[in-house]
Amino acid sequence: MAEMFSMFLAAVLINNIVLSKFLGMCPFLGVSKKLSSAIGMGAAVIFVIFGASIFTYGIYYLVLEPNGLDYMKLIVFILVIAAFVQFTEMVIKKYSPSLYKALGIYLPLITTNCAVLFVALDNITSKFTFTEMLVNSIAVPAGFMLVLVIFSTIRERLDTADVPNSFKGNPIALIVAAVMALAFSAFAGLV
Amino acid sequence: MLVALLVFVALAAGYGVLYYMNHKTPVPEGCENLKAECEGCKVTSCEMHPVHDTSKGENEND
Repeated sequence: MAEMFSMFLAAVLINNIVLSKFLGMCPFLGVSKKLSSAIGMGAAVIFVIFGASIFTYGIYYLVLEPNGLDYMKLIVFILVIAAFVQFTEMVIKKYSPSLYKALGIYLPLITTNCAVLFVALDNITSKFTFTEMLVNSIAVPAGFMLVLVIFSTIRERLDTADVPNSFKGNPIALIVAAVMALAFSAFAGLV
Repeated sequence: MLVALLVFVALAAGYGVLYYMNHKTPVPEGCENLKAECEGCKVTSCEMHPVHDTSKGENEND
C-alpha cells in the first residue's frame, strides 16, 4: 500500500508529465486561460487516460503479446485511444448534455494529447502489474490536472498584471511554466 | 502476418463504427455551436485553430 502511495506521489509531483516530461503541452497552453476550462479539461483527461489505459493494457496482454504482435502496439494503441475518445464523446452526448456542454469541445482534442499515448506505452514498457497500472493511470492525469489548474489561476492573474508588451500572451506563460517546473523540481527526493 | 492484419482490420473497423455512431448521435440542444476559446497558435493544422472557422468568412460576405 505504501509503495502504491509513493508511486502515486511520484507520478503527480516528481515525474509530472507536463513539467518534467513536457508532454501534453498543447492543452497545457491552450486550455489554461480560465480556471473552469482547466478543470473541465483535467477531468476529461483523467477519464480518457484511465479508460484508454485499461483497454490498451488488456489488448496488449490478451491479444498482442500471446500472438507475438508486440511490434504493433503503437498503431494499436493509437486506434484504441481514438476509438475510446469517440465512444466517450458519444455516451456523454447522449446521456449527459450538461457535461457535454462543459467538455464537448475538449474531448476530440484529447485524441491528439500525447500524454494519453505515453501512459498507455509506459504501462507496458515499465512492466506494471494490473494494480500498478491502475495507480499510474490515475496519478499521471491527476498530476496533469493539478498543474493545469495551478497554471490557469496564475494566467488569470496575469491578465490584469502589468506585463511588458513583448511578453504578453504565450511568452509570459512559458516563463511561468519554466518557473513552475523549477518549483516542482524541489519535490525530487521526496519519495 | 494474417493475425496482425486481422487485429488491425478489427480495430480500424471498430474505430470506423464508433466514429460513424458518434456522428449519427444528435448533439444536445444548445451545444450546436460550441467553440474552443482558442486564439490559435503556430499549429494551423489543428482543427480548433481559428483559420478553420468558416462561419467568420461567411458572415463577412453577408
